[in-house]
Amino acid sequence: MMELPLAAPPIGTESQLVIAPILVVLVAGVGSLLFGRWPRARIGVSLAGGAAYAVVVAAIDWYVVLAPDAPGIATYQLGDWPAPFGITLVADGLSAFMLTMVAILGIASLVFSTRVLPEIDRRSYYFPLFHFLALGVTGAFLTGDLFNLFVWFEVMLMASYVFVAYYGGPQHTRAAFWYVALNLLASAVFLLGVGGIYATTGTLNMADLARRLAEPAAYGIDPGPVVGLLALLLSVFAIKAGLVPFQFWIPTAYRAAPPQISALLAGATKKVGIYAIIRLSFTVFGDAQVGVDLALPGLGTVVAGNSPTAFVGAALFVMAAASILVGGIGAVGRESIEGVLAYSSIGQVGFIAIPVAIAATTGSAELRHLAIVAALVYALNHTLAKGLLFLAVGAIRSSTGTSRLADLGGLAGRSPPMAIAFFVGSLALVGIPPLSGFFGKFLVFDAAARAELIPVLGLLLVGSLLTIAYATRMWNRSFWGARTPAVENAAVDSVQVGVLIALAAAIVGVGIGFELVYEFADAAATAALDADGYVDAVDPTDPEEIEGLEGGEHE
Amino acid sequence: MTAFVLALVVGALFALGTFLLLRRDLIRVVWGLAIISQAANVYLLAMGGIVEGTADTVPVLAGHGEHVPETADPLVQALVLTAIVIGFGMTAFALVLSYRVYEEHDTLDVSDLGDRE
Repeated sequence: MMELPLAAPPIGTESQLVIAPILVVLVAGVGSLLFGRWPRARIGVSLAGGAAYAVVVAAIDWYVVLAPDAPGIATYQLGDWPAPFGITLVADGLSAFMLTMVAILGIASLVFSTRVLPEIDRRSYYFPLFHFLALGVTGAFLTGDLFNLFVWFEVMLMASYVFVAYYGGPQHTRAAFWYVALNLLASAVFLLGVGGIYATTGTLNMADLARRLAEPAAYGIDPGPVVGLLALLLSVFAIKAGLVPFQFWIPTAYRAAPPQISALLAGATKKVGIYAIIRLSFTVFGDAQVGVDLALPGLGTVVAGNSPTAFVGAALFVMAAASILVGGIGAVGRESIEGVLAYSSIGQVGFIAIPVAIAATTGSAELRHLAIVAALVYALNHTLAKGLLFLAVGAIRSSTGTSRLADLGGLAGRSPPMAIAFFVGSLALVGIPPLSGFFGKFLVFDAAARAELIPVLGLLLVGSLLTIAYATRMWNRSFWGARTPAVENAAVDSVQVGVLIALAAAIVGVGIGFELVYEFADAAATAALDADGYVDAVDPTDPEEIEGLEGGEHE
Repeated sequence: MTAFVLALVVGALFALGTFLLLRRDLIRVVWGLAIISQAANVYLLAMGGIVEGTADTVPVLAGHGEHVPETADPLVQALVLTAIVIGFGMTAFALVLSYRVYEEHDTLDVSDLGDRE
């Protein structure tokens, strides 16, 4: 037996939990692939996989983050190779928060899917692909190095390509082709960023990267190019998140995909982009020592500090502001519900990016923390509300056969439970007090006010007014007024409506039990900003320390 | 010298890929994407640095107990191998998709695909 001279920390229960969600969702995907000839069994395996995933994510939430004696961060070194040589998986507060959002929405979308697919086409690979999409998202949240982030992005994208082309009509193939082309290009740019960072710093492990960038002199590296490389990566993540000017693919792709998948694209894959921006800008590059100072014209803030994060903040301000305006104005005039929602989700990502930008440019640690919490709470609200609304589009489409605003009307009288759920979702998007949306919006405004950014406050206000405008228009056109023939003959599925009601209850629940959610978001923000804790937990071995191994000790 | 040539090759590949990407024919667009992702791979290889690897950069070799041979940076090779596999898969998918677009629209010309909605 060969024994390696390099020793990794012993593997505990928390460590094994870190890899569990990936394994669970992989088994669910492969399992549902095997049961292709028995549609009922396939659905059973899929649902069981979804439930197991939720249990595992809840276990991570509790044992790693929320329990009184929780370590706050857990790592798993694949194959027992120590970082930075092996592949590291890391679960901390930020990853756990993101995973929880995806788990809630994923289950809702999965249950919904079992009712919406016509006849459950035997030859369709819908359910396996669903799990592989979730696999990519999960991996991206848990991975501890940049190249594996790229790989998980590709896993996620590959499944989403198929979903955009899923219905196979002329407009779907066209939308899918542009979606694929854009993302292939983005992948190449991602590789450029990864290669550049490897050449500059000599490592791709995020913890090792953070450690080296914090003391570039000690490791003999020149961190200057890192600013530009981070900008390259930021553009890639902005494409995934759909920030202006990279938003153009969103409306066509979201309209082409099945609505329950659009819910995931808006609620989960978008959040991967946001997560990557937060993780890289704060945990990895937050302590980087690059001498820069930057004044933002009109905002009156001198970008504090000497970290590339300041550049990210400046770029994010511009992109987020444009997103809020483009998304809001675009959503007001759409002809179909999913068109409104697709544009709305461009605007809402702007609302998530604004506090991230504030956190990146501020000098105060307290405000930085608050702004990250605001971004996370807003992201949670967006996932729940937008997920609910996209699923409602699926329910409306499968019951009335259309989702064009002109062909709808009077849905409120036809199915009051669906109307209530849709109403709750819209109100959460607008930000009415008892719901989750209120706290998200409140924290974002709070962060902007504390940063004393008056133009940003004005922008947020305009964005909120636009949200009210398109939400009321969407509601008035489809749920009020005279019933159209399509609505009169609608056959509403009770399970679909049940899923909508459950999500609406979750939105209300987050609002009422906000203290617990805040605690979780607080832990997530702490984890995102705690670069030292991240480095300590991953504990990358210094190559210098293992010198003298030449020849090796073989036993 | 090698670095200079590599830089030139990567630049030329990117230029060619971008040129093809802007064509009207969908197949050329796919070619452009394939060339750009290969250009990214060549670039990635060059980023490993053109130096010999030693035991401290390649701990796997030390672990086996034999004499450590001179080697290129194995990390970039592993990365590029992964990137090539992913790139080929994606290109194949894009080709299939463009065939499907041809079936649906009876054309491969981008300008004939019509406006969105």
